Amino acid sequence: MGLATNASAAQARTDRTVQVTKRLRSLIFSYRWLALICVLVIWQVIALTSNIGVLPTPLKVVTAGWELVSTGLFFKELAASMVRILIGFGLGMLLGLIVGVLMGARRFWDAFFQDLVVLGLSLPGLIYALLCVMIFGLGLTAPVVAILLASYPFAAVNIREGVRAIDKELIDMARVYLVNRSRVIRQVILPSLLPFILAAVRVGFTVAWKVAVLTEVFGAATGIGYQLRYNFQLFSMRTMVAWALLFGAVMLVIEYGILVPAERYFARWRPKIKEVI
Amino acid sequence: MTTAAITVKDLVKSFGEPGHEHVVLNGLSFDVEHGTLTTIVGPSGSGKSTLLNVLSGLEPYKSGTVQIHSGERSTTDLGYVFQSPRLLPWLNIIDNIMFVRPKGVQEGTHRQRALQYLGMVGLKGVEQKFPHQLSGGMQQRAGLARGLAVEPEVLLMDEPFSHLDEITAEQMRTELLRIWQETRRTIIFITHDMQEAIQLGDRLLMLGYHGQIVEDIKIDLPRPRKFTDHAFVDFYADVVSRFHKMQSDRAEELAVN
Repeated sequence: MGLATNASAAQARTDRTVQVTKRLRSLIFSYRWLALICVLVIWQVIALTSNIGVLPTPLKVVTAGWELVSTGLFFKELAASMVRILIGFGLGMLLGLIVGVLMGARRFWDAFFQDLVVLGLSLPGLIYALLCVMIFGLGLTAPVVAILLASYPFAAVNIREGVRAIDKELIDMARVYLVNRSRVIRQVILPSLLPFILAAVRVGFTVAWKVAVLTEVFGAATGIGYQLRYNFQLFSMRTMVAWALLFGAVMLVIEYGILVPAERYFARWRPKIKEVI
Repeated sequence: MTTAAITVKDLVKSFGEPGHEHVVLNGLSFDVEHGTLTTIVGPSGSGKSTLLNVLSGLEPYKSGTVQIHSGERSTTDLGYVFQSPRLLPWLNIIDNIMFVRPKGVQEGTHRQRALQYLGMVGLKGVEQKFPHQLSGGMQQRAGLARGLAVEPEVLLMDEPFSHLDEITAEQMRTELLRIWQETRRTIIFITHDMQEAIQLGDRLLMLGYHGQIVEDIKIDLPRPRKFTDHAFVDFYADVVSRFHKMQSDRAEELAVN
C-alpha cells in the first residue's frame, strides 16, 4: 500500500513537471511575442524617421524605466496607488456583492437599485474622480470613494446574474436532506456564484485602476497618477511612456500571476471546453 | 405489530390563490409499512411528483396529516432520489455524498457509509471523480448512493430511471431490488411506467384525476419477476385495463361537462 502511494505520488510529481515544462515552452514559442515585436519595430522606425523629436526611441524609454525601477521610485509610487486601489476596490466589491445579491434575490431591491446601477455603469470614471477630489480634498478618502463608486456597479450586475443562475433544483435537494444553511451557502451558493464573482473582480479591478490613476492626477502627491501629471508638466515624454509601460506590466503580472491561475483553480471541476466554432 | 413508516391522512394540496385554486391532491389517505417497496403510478398531472414534494417537506399542504417515521422531521428520515442526479458539479462524488451528512453522524462514519453504498451501487473507484466525468447512469447511481448513505427510514424515488436508456434502466431496476432486499429500506417509487411499477413493487398505488387513490393493488408475484412470465403478463394486462377504464371514465366525464 505504502509503495503504491509513493509510486503514484512520484508519478504525480513527474506529471506536474511535464506540465510546467510544456507550459513554459508554449509561452516562449508563443505567437503573442510577434505582436509585441511588431509594435517595437514600428515604434523604433517612427522615432528615428520623424522630425518632431518628441517621440523617444524604445531604448531611451527602457533606460528611463530602469531608472525608475532601480531607484525604487516605481515601487514606492506603486505601493501608494495600490493601497488606494485595494481599499476602494475591496469596498466596491463588498458593496457590489450586497447590492447584487439583493437584486438577484428580491424583486423589490432589483427595481430599487436598477437605475442607480445603470447610471453608475455609464458615468465616466473622470466624473467620480473630479467630484471626489472636490468633496474630500487631498487624502485617502477621495480615491477610495471614487474607486468604490466606479467599481461597485460592475460587481452588482455580475453578482445579480449569478444569483439568478443558481440552480434551484440543487437548493431543493439540500432542503430535502435538511442540510444546514451555512453548508448550503458554502457548498452550493458560493461555488455557483464564483465564476460571476471572478468576472466582477476582473472588470472591477480594471475600472479601479483607471479611476485611481485619474484621481491621483488631480488630487494626490503620490502614486502613479501623480507621477504621470508631474512628468506631463515637465513635458518628459520618455518618463511618461516609461510609467505607462510599467503600469501595463503590473497589469499583466496581476492578470497572469493572480487572475488566470485563480480562474483555472476555481474551474477545475468543469469539463474541458471544446472549440465549437 | 408493524408500525407504519408513512401515514398520510386526508391530505389536501392545492396550487394558486384562494378562490381560484387548482386542487391536486384531494383527501388522499394511505399507510406504508416499514420495509416495503410501494410504487405509485398515475397519468401525468395526477400529482405524483407533488405528493413526493409534500412528503419530503418541499411543498406545504393545505390540510390533513403527513407523518413520516415518528413525526418530527429529522435528517435521517428521508432520502430522495430525483429524476435527474442533482449532484453538485464542483464536488467530487465522495464529497457529494458527504454533503448530506445527517446531524449526529460523525464525518468518519459517514465517509465509511458513503464508500460502502458507492460499492453497493457499483461505483467503487470513482470517489474522486467529478460528476461530469461520469455517464448519466453512473451519476444517477451516485444520487442513489447519496440517498442510501443517510440510512433513511424512507427513500423517495421520483422516476429515477426515466432519463436513462432502457438497457441501463433495466440494470438499475435489478440492482435497486437487490439493494432493497439487502437494506430493507422503505421505498416509495414513482413512475409512469406500469411495467416498471409491477416489476419493482410489493404494492401499487394508482393516482386518479381527482387527486385520490383509485387503485391500491397488492403485487404478490414471486421474485425475480420477468416480463415474459405468464403471471406477470396477466397481472400487467389487468392493471393496464384498470388504468384504461379510469381514463375512459375521465373522457366521459369531460364529454358530459
